[in-house]
Amino acid sequence: MDPYPRPMGKLIGELSKLPGIGPKTARRLSFYILERSKNEVKELADALLEAREKINYCSVCNHLTENDKCSFCSSESRDQSMICVVESPRDIVVMEKTGEYNGLYHVLHGAISPMDGIGPDEIKIRSLIPRLENGVEEVIIATDPNAEGDATAMYLAKLIKPLGVKVTRIAHGVPVGGDLEYADEVTLSKALEGRREL
Amino acid sequence: MYLKKILCRHFRNFDELILDLNPNLNIFLGANGQGKTNFLEAIYILAAADSHRTNVNSEMIKWEYNQALVQAILSKRDGKIKLAMRLDSSGRKVELNDNPLSKINEIMGYLNVVLFSPEDLKIVKEGPSHRRNFIDLEISQVSRYYHHLMGKYNHILKQRNNLLKSIQNKNQSSEGDMLSIWDSQLSEIGSKIILKRLEVIDKLKILARLAQRQITKGSEDLKLEYDISLKGFSRKLGEAELKKLFAENLLKNREQEINRGYTVVGPHRDDLILKLNEKELRKYGSQGQQRTAALSLKLAELEFMKSETGEYPVLLLDDVFSELDSSRRETLLKVIADNIQTIITATDEENLSGLRNNSYNIYEVNQGRITERR
Repeated sequence: MDPYPRPMGKLIGELSKLPGIGPKTARRLSFYILERSKNEVKELADALLEAREKINYCSVCNHLTENDKCSFCSSESRDQSMICVVESPRDIVVMEKTGEYNGLYHVLHGAISPMDGIGPDEIKIRSLIPRLENGVEEVIIATDPNAEGDATAMYLAKLIKPLGVKVTRIAHGVPVGGDLEYADEVTLSKALEGRREL
Repeated sequence: MYLKKILCRHFRNFDELILDLNPNLNIFLGANGQGKTNFLEAIYILAAADSHRTNVNSEMIKWEYNQALVQAILSKRDGKIKLAMRLDSSGRKVELNDNPLSKINEIMGYLNVVLFSPEDLKIVKEGPSHRRNFIDLEISQVSRYYHHLMGKYNHILKQRNNLLKSIQNKNQSSEGDMLSIWDSQLSEIGSKIILKRLEVIDKLKILARLAQRQITKGSEDLKLEYDISLKGFSRKLGEAELKKLFAENLLKNREQEINRGYTVVGPHRDDLILKLNEKELRKYGSQGQQRTAALSLKLAELEFMKSETGEYPVLLLDDVFSELDSSRRETLLKVIADNIQTIITATDEENLSGLRNNSYNIYEVNQGRITERR
C-alpha cells in the first residue's frame, strides 16, 4: 500500500529531481507545501512558471535576462573594454559580489570535455569572437580551476591571442585571510607555481 | 607509530569488533575465510583511503546492513590521533579526531602502513602496471600532493584519450589543435610525476639493494631502474625542459595515437625494471629469487617511509610467513624486532615459533569474531 496519495507521490518525485534534494528533504518539502493555503502554493507555482517563461539568455553574453540584453550588456557604466569569460551564470553572481570588476561578461554554459562529448561548438564560444571587434582590450578567463576549465582557457587563449587582444587567466591560490598553516598542500603548491615577483 | 585500538562495525564479516593491539607484535590465527584479511583491509583503508581489494563500497559492508564504520586510535611520536572512515552505498566519509574531513584523500598521511601479501609477488612477476601502482602508492602515502597529481593526470589522460577516439571516428585531422590544449596540461603534470618518481626510486634502490644483500648474505645484487617511455630523456633535464620534451614526444606520436585511440607515452606507460645480478628478474629470475626481491622491496618501503616521516609505519603481513623459507623468515624477524608494530595473519602457528622472543598478542579469528588468547 502507498503511504501517501498518488499526487503527493508525484510531487515528491518532482522535488527530488532538484539538485541537493534527496528523498527525505523532498518528503519534508511536500508536507510543508500541503499545509500551506492554496494561494501561497499558487504564488510558488506561478513564480516557478514565470521565471522559466520570462527568463532567457542574453543575446550578447548568454547571461540570464528577461529582456533581449542582460543588465550588464545594456549598462553604459560598465567598462566595455573588458570581458570576463565564465562557465555559468552562477559565477557572475560571485564575481559581482567582489565589487572589484566593472567590465562585461561572457557565459560559456559549460567547459570543453571530450568525455562528455562537449567540444568548442557545444558551448558558447563562437559568439564571443565577434564581440572582440568592438574595442575590447582584455579578456579575463575565469573558468573553473580544473582540467576542463584549464583546457577551455587554453583553447580560448589560442583563439583570441592572434586577434591582438590581451588574454589573462585569474590566479588560483591561498584564500585571503587564510593562514598558510591551514592551506592544504595542493592549494599551496598551486599558489607557489603562480607566484609573482614583488 | 602504532595502532592502539581498532573498532570495526558492520565491516565485511564483522559485527562489532573492538580490539586493543600490542605495540609490537600481533598474530591473528584462523582458518581461511574467517576474516583475517578483512581485518588487515580495515587498517589499510585508513592509511590509503582505498581498499587494496575492491573499489566497491557495498562489498565492504556486512550483508543486510547499510553502513560500515572503521575507527582506530593511533599513537604517534607527537601524540594520539583518532581516524575513522564511514562507508555507505553512496560513498565514504573520513574523520580525524571526530572532525569530518572534506575530502576523502585528506585522511592519507596519518597512518602509514606497509602491506606484504602473496599478491605482492605480482610486482616482480607480472606487468608494469603492478610496479607503477607500487611506486605510486608508496609516494602517495608520504605526499598528498603526489596523490593529487596522479588523480589529475589520470583525469586529463581520460579526456585526451576520449578526444583521440573521437578524432579517429570522425577522421578529422583539423582537430589536432584541440589535442594541444590537453597536451600542455598532460605534459605539465606528467613531468612533475616523473621527477618525483625518479627522486623516490633513487632512494628506494639503495634500500632494496641493501635488503637483498642482507637476505642472501651478499650473493644477490638487486637493481632498480626507472624505465621512462619518453624518447630523449636525460637526468639532466629540469622540470621545464622535461615538460617540453614530453610535449614534443606527444607531437611526434600524434598520428600513431590517433590511429590507436590512446596516449602512448607518459608516466602511465613507464616501468620499474628489476634486475638481479644484471639479469632482468621478471624474465630470468627463479621463483625463490623473485620472492626474495618482493620481500626486499617491501623492506625498502619500510625504511623509505621511516626516512620520509621519521617513524616506522605499521607492517601488515598477510599470510606470507608460510611462503618464506627459513633465511628470509629470519631476516624479516630481525627487522620486526626493531620497534615496528607488526600485524601478522597465519593459518597455523607452525612457522611462527621464532617470533616468541618479542612481546606479542595472539588473537583467534573465527567467523568474524576475534578473541585474544590469554
